[in-house]
Amino acid sequence: MGAIIALAKKDLLLLLRDKAGLFFALGFPLVMAVFFGTIFGGGGGGGGSSEPAGISVAVVDEDASAASSAFVDQLDASGDFEVTRSGSRESAADSVRRGTRSAAVVLTPGFGAASERVFWGDPATIEVIYDPSRGAESAMIEGMLMKLAFSGLGEKLSDADSVQTSNAEALRSLEDADDMGPLAKASLRELIGAVDTFFATGSESWMEEEEGGSPVGQMQWQPIAIETRSVREIETAGNQEEGDKGPGSGYDVSFPQGVMWALIGVSAAFGVSLVQERSGGTLRRLRVAPISRGDVLLGKALACYVSIIVASAALLVFGIVVFGVRPGSPLLLLMGMACAAVCFTGLMMLLSVLGKTEQAASGIGWAVLLLLAMFGGAMVPLFIMPGWMQSMASFSPVKWAILAIEGPLWRGFGVSEMLIPCGVLLAVGAGTFGIGAGVFGRMEES
Amino acid sequence: MIRVSGVVKTFGSLRAVDGVSFEVAPGEVFGLLGPNGAGKSTTIAMICGLLAPDSGVITIDGGSPTDPAARRALGVAPQAMAVYDELTARENLRFFGTLYGLKGAELARRCDELLQFVSLSDRARDRAGRYSGGMKRRLNLACAMTHDPKILLLDEPTAGVDPQSRNSLYEAVDRLRDEGRAIIYTTHYMEEAQRLCDRVGVIDHGAMLETGTVETLIEKHGGASSVVIERPAGEERVETDAPLGVIETALAGGDATGVRVERPSLETVFLNLTGRSLRD
Repeated sequence: MGAIIALAKKDLLLLLRDKAGLFFALGFPLVMAVFFGTIFGGGGGGGGSSEPAGISVAVVDEDASAASSAFVDQLDASGDFEVTRSGSRESAADSVRRGTRSAAVVLTPGFGAASERVFWGDPATIEVIYDPSRGAESAMIEGMLMKLAFSGLGEKLSDADSVQTSNAEALRSLEDADDMGPLAKASLRELIGAVDTFFATGSESWMEEEEGGSPVGQMQWQPIAIETRSVREIETAGNQEEGDKGPGSGYDVSFPQGVMWALIGVSAAFGVSLVQERSGGTLRRLRVAPISRGDVLLGKALACYVSIIVASAALLVFGIVVFGVRPGSPLLLLMGMACAAVCFTGLMMLLSVLGKTEQAASGIGWAVLLLLAMFGGAMVPLFIMPGWMQSMASFSPVKWAILAIEGPLWRGFGVSEMLIPCGVLLAVGAGTFGIGAGVFGRMEES
Repeated sequence: MIRVSGVVKTFGSLRAVDGVSFEVAPGEVFGLLGPNGAGKSTTIAMICGLLAPDSGVITIDGGSPTDPAARRALGVAPQAMAVYDELTARENLRFFGTLYGLKGAELARRCDELLQFVSLSDRARDRAGRYSGGMKRRLNLACAMTHDPKILLLDEPTAGVDPQSRNSLYEAVDRLRDEGRAIIYTTHYMEEAQRLCDRVGVIDHGAMLETGTVETLIEKHGGASSVVIERPAGEERVETDAPLGVIETALAGGDATGVRVERPSLETVFLNLTGRSLRD
């Protein structure tokens, strides 16, 4: 055991003095965690204070009506957009082409008049000019504009006077319509009349029923009410003693991903160090010493394991102290980290036999680890991947390691829920270590 | 102290070591000479216990090299600079000493002794990566000796070092022999083997072609001396067992501008035994 500890101490000292190795074990994961935490809504419940910026759009009001102007104000006030008013669609389109705006939003002529009609007539039209390289943002903008439009519709239907004005306009438009049969016209006329009567009588009676009440307040209407709650809030609500917990922030997600990069960086560094021992001749010296091959490998594994634990713990402590990351269950978090460390120590052993030279081992090692990270969700969240990729993620230990760390951190996992990710990690660790050690032995004998 | 008897090792169809036998006694430096691929490295790997022979027997200090306890008698300075560049000289020595069970004051004392032995005391706190080639070679040798082994395997210990460091290493090897250690020494430098080795073994194609003292081998396989007569028209080389007679005749001719005698060397022995130069 003394020899194993001596070997591990030596490797830890070597890692501490290897600036590049140390950066990839600790510095790089920290940068990734802070960077992505800040981008993805960091500051919600942590120490960060920056709000995510809205989508930058150029708005052109070609209608110049009160309704269109109010809509632009609504866009601006929503917080979803960073609005720049533009004088013409050409200049707005140019700003999109130059990449200074994500999209241009054009309120076309007739927007105001059309928005007055509720049940009949052409709809208010908004044109979105978008950058084809930012298709995802275009879809988001479309959704946000719909949300605002529905919100305006809800307010309109909550105001009896507005509905009645709108109905009168709709009835006039209906009478002028040439492309509709008499039966359809009669039906629509009846519907609009009924709505008109409902609002004409309803508003008076509501005012009488509740003195001082606002008819709008009573009739507040919207097509759908969506309430968003993070699973973290549900956990907090279920445990009142932990009421001091704020809502989860982006750092809750990014720091486990940062830990993944630490696991990857450390295992890559130690995988290469074993090849260095072989090519540099120190392995021969170690093997001549009165210690077994197993001692040499266990010493390397112990150093790798300790480095992973220390790097992961340092990252998480940094996240807790600086960014307000709050582990739900510290004990289970330790368990998750320990299992992830076993897994990546085993992977290190396997990586160390994949290349005969340091360059080959480093290249192959990083390639394998990056693939595992890509498919495991360490680079992009799994939910935005296609279905077949999400299925493949289960073959990546990175997915299970993220789950084993996120679980106790903010998903509220209990012991039983930790069993599967931890079991997978331990099995992968033991399997890859066994295969790596076996191949290592055969390489030594050949 | 080291006994290698009829050892055979094959890799697939390649017979890397083919019935090699030799012994090395305490206080003796045995030179193992052979071109690349001759079977030296495989033989040394088997003596270190890193490879098991297919047949034959190897004993070191009476035990098998595969036995960790027996390997305690062995110190190895590989041809590669087998030290950690990011550790200081003292840290390297401490680490290797710890693997052999040394600790505390004993380990510290041994490190001091070795640093002094290889003249690195004043650079003990510098990382090995900052050392010159010669200093690193000396540290490589010191690391092989942390546990005070009775047997040393020195694999090309002077490769790539400057003449000053080379002389320092020669002196170190002399002292180690005087202390009674058995040393196996491999080298490509014939003059080095002649200078240091009490006996040499010439190995080629996996087989030990000859063993003996340098003098014996030269006498047996070196051939005759050569007298080289320098004339304005060029040099004439005459092989002879009576060089004085040839010199007298040459000088009597009147046109010789110079005469020199070339005695057979280990290089000649090697050439005659293997048909090629050691560095081919």
